[in-house]
Amino acid sequence: MEKKPNEEILPINRAEALDRIGGDPGFLKELLEIYFQEYIVRIKELRGAVQGQKFQKILELGHTLKGSSANLSLPGLRQAATDIEMAGREKDIEKAKDSFSRLEREFERLKRHLAQFPD
Amino acid sequence: MKPLRKAKQSEAGEAMQILIADDDPVSGRMLEKNLNKWGYKTLLADNGQEAWQALQKPGLRLALLDWMMPKITGLELCQRIRKISKPNYTYVILLTAKDELQDIIRGLEAGADDYMTKPVNFLELHARLQTGRRIIGLEDHLLKTQKRLYVLSTRDNLTSLWNRATILRFLDEELEQGARQKSPTGAIMLDVDLFKKVNDTHGHLAGDGVLRAIAACLTENIRLYDKIGRYGGDEILIILPNCSLKNLAKIAERLRSACAKNKINVYGKRLSATLSLGCVSSETMDKPSVDRMILACDRALYQAKQQGRNCVALSDPLADYRKGTTHGKKAK
Repeated sequence: MEKKPNEEILPINRAEALDRIGGDPGFLKELLEIYFQEYIVRIKELRGAVQGQKFQKILELGHTLKGSSANLSLPGLRQAATDIEMAGREKDIEKAKDSFSRLEREFERLKRHLAQFPD
Repeated sequence: MKPLRKAKQSEAGEAMQILIADDDPVSGRMLEKNLNKWGYKTLLADNGQEAWQALQKPGLRLALLDWMMPKITGLELCQRIRKISKPNYTYVILLTAKDELQDIIRGLEAGADDYMTKPVNFLELHARLQTGRRIIGLEDHLLKTQKRLYVLSTRDNLTSLWNRATILRFLDEELEQGARQKSPTGAIMLDVDLFKKVNDTHGHLAGDGVLRAIAACLTENIRLYDKIGRYGGDEILIILPNCSLKNLAKIAERLRSACAKNKINVYGKRLSATLSLGCVSSETMDKPSVDRMILACDRALYQAKQQGRNCVALSDPLADYRKGTTHGKKAK
C-alpha cells in the first residue's frame, strides 16, 4: 500500500543539519544547492532504472540518495531513498515504484518548505 | 573521466593531503570543507576508478573511502591498495552507511585501518584523522631511521664512498651479471702515493682531508654506472661493469691524471697527491671471482709502485700464465 508523506514531520531538520556542519547557514544553502542539482540527475537515472527494472542500479541510486539526504537531515527523502535501496536489493518492482513516487512527493514538499522558509 | 579537483594548499604550507572518494557530492563537499578548515589539502574523486588513480601517488598517505561507489567499491580499493608496493603506507578510513558488525569486520579485513558510519560526526572524524597522522608520523620516523642505518651500514663515514663490505658485494654481483650477459667486469685498486708521509708531515686530519678530496675527484671522473668504495686505509676499489682491459686502462689513466692535477686545500695548506692504480678485467680470467680479482688488482698495484708510482699497471693473468710470470705490465 502506498505510504503518504508524513506531513507532521518537517522535510528538513534544519537545526540538526546546521549542527552537523558547524552552524554555518551559508554553507547549508550551498549544500542544498548541490543536493538539488544532484537530485535532478539522479531522479532521471532512477526513473529509467525503475522502468527498465534494473535492480542493481535502483539499489545504488537509492543508496546514494539516502546518504546525501541523511547528511542534510531530510528525513522524508531519506526514508523514501532507503526504501528504494531495499526494493532494489529485494528485486521488488512494486515497492520500487511506490518508493519512487514517494521520493518525488517528498522532494516537492522540501522545495515548497524551503520556498516558504528560505532561512 | 573528470579531472580531479585541484588540491587546496593550507596556510601551514606543508599540509598533509587527503583523498576523499565519495560519489555523493554533498558528502564530498562537507568532508572537503571540514578537512580544509583543519589544515589538510584535499583531492576529490567521485568514483572508485578516479580514487584508484589518485591512490597510486606516492605522496598520498591518507584516504577517506566511501564503501559504495561506482566502478570500484571502497572495499575493493582497500584490498588493492594493500597489494601494491608503495614507498609509504596509506592510512585508510572507510566511510559507509553500513554499520553491522559483519560489515565492519569485512572492511577491516579488506585492509581499512579505521571505519566510520555516515552521516559522519565531524568531531569524531577530526580525532580519527589525528590517529591516522600519528601512525603516519611513526612510519616516517621508522623509515628515516632505516635510511640512516642503511647509510651507516653501507657507507664509509670519512669519504662517503661505499664501505668495504658493500663494494665487495657489488663486485660479486657485477661478476655474476657480467657472466650472464657475457660482458667483462673491470676493477681498479688504487692507493695514494706516500700517504704515510702526508700523515706524518701534516697530521692525520690533513691526511683525512686528502682522502676526502681524492674520493671526490675519483667520484667525479668515473662513469655514472661505476661503483667506488674504500677498501681500507688509503686503498680505494672501483668496479666498472662492461669494461674491457683496454677501456679500463684509459679510464684508470684519466683518473690518475685528474687526481694528480687536483690541488687540495686542507687546513690552510695547499697539498697535492698522486695515485698508483692496479687494474684487472674479468675477461683475462678463466674463472673470475671476487678473491681472484682482488688478488690480481693487488699484484698490479704492487707493480705500479715498483714502476715508480703515479702510474697505472694492468694485470693480465692469462698472459702472465702463458709467459710463466705473475707480474703486471705498465699501461701505455
